Amino acid sequence: MLVAVSAPSSAADLRVGFTQDALTLDPANHRKRETETIIRNIYDGVMTQAANGEVLPELVESFRQIDPTTYEAVLRRNVKFHSGEPMTAEDIKFTFDRLTKDKAMGGETSPRQSLLGPLQDTIVVDAHTVRFKLKEPWPVFPRMLPVQEVVSKAWVTRVGDAALAGQANGTGPFRLVEWRRGDSIIMERFADYYGGTPAIPPAGPARVDRAIFKIIPENASRVAALLAGEVEIINEVPIHMIGQIERSGRARIAKANGTRTFFIALNVTKPPFNDVRVRRAANHAVDKKLLIDKLLGGAATSVAGVLSPESFGFKPGIREYRHDPEQARKLMAEAGLSGGVDVTIDTEGAFKDQAEAIAAMLTRVGIRAKVQVWEGAVLTPVWRAQNKTRDMYLSSWGSGALDPTGIFVPTLKTKDRGNSSGYSNAEVDRLLTLADGELDPAKRADMYHQAERIVAEEAPWLFLWVPQDIYAISNRVRGWEPGSDSRINLHRAHFVN
Amino acid sequence: MRFGVVLERLAQLIPVLFGVCLVVFLMVTLTPGDPVEIMLGNERSTPEQAEELRRQMGLHLPPHERFFAFIGNAVTGDFGRSFFHRRPVIEVIAERLPATLELTIVAMTIALGLAIPLGILAALKRGSWLDRVATMVSLAGVSMPGFWFGIMLIMLFAVHLGWMPVSGRVDYALEVPRLTGMILFDSLAHGRFDTFRDALHHILMPALTLGLAMSALLMRVTRASMIEVLQQDYILFAEAKGIGRARLILRHGLRNALIPTVTVAALETGYLLGGNTIVETVFGWPGLARVIVEGIFSRDYPLVQAGVLVIALIYVGVNFVADLLYTLINPRVKL
Repeated sequence: MLVAVSAPSSAADLRVGFTQDALTLDPANHRKRETETIIRNIYDGVMTQAANGEVLPELVESFRQIDPTTYEAVLRRNVKFHSGEPMTAEDIKFTFDRLTKDKAMGGETSPRQSLLGPLQDTIVVDAHTVRFKLKEPWPVFPRMLPVQEVVSKAWVTRVGDAALAGQANGTGPFRLVEWRRGDSIIMERFADYYGGTPAIPPAGPARVDRAIFKIIPENASRVAALLAGEVEIINEVPIHMIGQIERSGRARIAKANGTRTFFIALNVTKPPFNDVRVRRAANHAVDKKLLIDKLLGGAATSVAGVLSPESFGFKPGIREYRHDPEQARKLMAEAGLSGGVDVTIDTEGAFKDQAEAIAAMLTRVGIRAKVQVWEGAVLTPVWRAQNKTRDMYLSSWGSGALDPTGIFVPTLKTKDRGNSSGYSNAEVDRLLTLADGELDPAKRADMYHQAERIVAEEAPWLFLWVPQDIYAISNRVRGWEPGSDSRINLHRAHFVN
Repeated sequence: MRFGVVLERLAQLIPVLFGVCLVVFLMVTLTPGDPVEIMLGNERSTPEQAEELRRQMGLHLPPHERFFAFIGNAVTGDFGRSFFHRRPVIEVIAERLPATLELTIVAMTIALGLAIPLGILAALKRGSWLDRVATMVSLAGVSMPGFWFGIMLIMLFAVHLGWMPVSGRVDYALEVPRLTGMILFDSLAHGRFDTFRDALHHILMPALTLGLAMSALLMRVTRASMIEVLQQDYILFAEAKGIGRARLILRHGLRNALIPTVTVAALETGYLLGGNTIVETVFGWPGLARVIVEGIFSRDYPLVQAGVLVIALIYVGVNFVADLLYTLINPRVKL
């Protein structure tokens, strides 16, 4: 069998050197951010997200909330799948049923089911209108829609669910040409593309002939491919190679705040961190600015609390613990620990340097810390168990939707799934529960802010930073800038001479 | 060599492979870390949703049932479904194995092509400048870490000189005929010489990275073995009979000296198949080793079990063939 590629390589081919291959091309059958990044160029969603995090209608003209548990979407009329069939409300219903109903994906249940929370049913009102019915109010619902892509009911029925793993038929700006697994995914411009959301100009078909994701897992090789002119965009640029890229004169560095907040969870259920004074001392002991400048190449934003500056509900004004070793020692003495205390910081190999630098700073104020490195798959269950036995955990939590419900609730609500520090505060729990169902965005943001103030005061974490995602983009490329959702949507990218 | 002996040797491989399955199963099962938790990550899910995933992955069964189900199915060629690729493991392996085999074959060809002539020359000119240079180069080859050497090759030949591609198997714009999955072979079979040339261009640096290190070791083995053989009485006798030098070295010397080389080459082939993860990663080579390592980190039990089993199968197969080769090289060797 010959697999034909439609045209020879040309200057209008945009190539991305990317860290990981897609696991599948089925939008409903994975839980991987990198897979999502690749297939989002082939499949569009009901909603999309701008680089600044704003959620905008994509395949729909309008999206509105009718009552606390119902949203209505009116579809664009001119949307076609790559197979040529027009998109209808039946396709939207089919897509969301496939994601949320048990065993609806060829006898299997979609691993993305839980991402749609309480979505109970998708109802077809007419050929161009659908309603999403939720079991309970869930204000974050629209923010979860950009990460779900629409498939064609007729096509899936025709080819069968299993075929979606390797074939694609979306409504996106690029059509799949060939997937050479582990090596590259080759896509070409879809001529009948409806143009994408007009809210992010310019709308219209893709501006390059082909888009290629070349899989290059090794950092140094990815940078080499950029410098050799084999690719035009690379992700996950290592900090120590930024200078080399900038000096080359071929490419520029682009950064965006990521979606992960880094922190050290302090086990509040046992000494020494059951004493708030010791927790505050730990926060005062660490010179975050120095760490960000020296270890992270300046590519991180310090946070005073839980939320990224890009997140919904973020408000400035939470008092950050300043670097003050003297104050830390004073607090340790007040806590009766002037002789110091021995603790262990658990972390994964990738963060060993950071943990060791923090351990040295803590040791100077009497919190004598040593670092233990574990594999993530082993460490996570140890710290998520309800019975906490260890001291400190340098970790992070990401919320792709950039909404507090994806980060604040799981990590700090009593006994929630990612509450590593064992923190429990009735008022914080009350505010988080209320905010989860509050439909007025301003009131909801206020509730999170109040909760964040309490958490900052009680310091169940040693608050650290939100690292930036670092990309390098060829000087010849315009029309794509990284956003905080780590997507690489090439629809508007193009070359300049 | 009797056919019965070959069958007997083949039968002996069965307990070996069963042992491999058992060890790999125990290792993946006893390693802490839950695939369901890894897949769900930090996102919210109900216990029922987690339980459903666990059931889909077959992890609700006790370990001994899982093991015997794996063995029973593996015999029929069914290795189960990959947890993360969400499709049959055999498909994932079948896509990746040809790339690894192709790289291994080219690397081994480079290694043997360099090692045997250089080993013979070094043995014949023992103590000469050629011997010293060959020994020094081979020492450097053995000592150089593959990832470092690979990146140095990339920086020099791809970035600075622009002669070679950094990564991948073939240019994305070229037609890739499908037959065995080994692009060099398939493109030749279909008469696609442009694809063949480009694939050769792509494989050269990763194959050199692996092959040079391997050739260093093989050269030292060939040299040592050749020196020993050349000191044997029968060589002296053959020389006294007036046999030509070339015939003496190749027929009487090399043939006997090759046995250790074949043994080491077979063992190294096994290493190349399973252990070239680093080179596959550095050169973005979409091989089996890389996908198995990714599987280990995500606790993709079926993928790891089947991948290791396939590598073990090829490994014992190659060593079995090496045993057969001994008898061809030297008929006095009995299995």
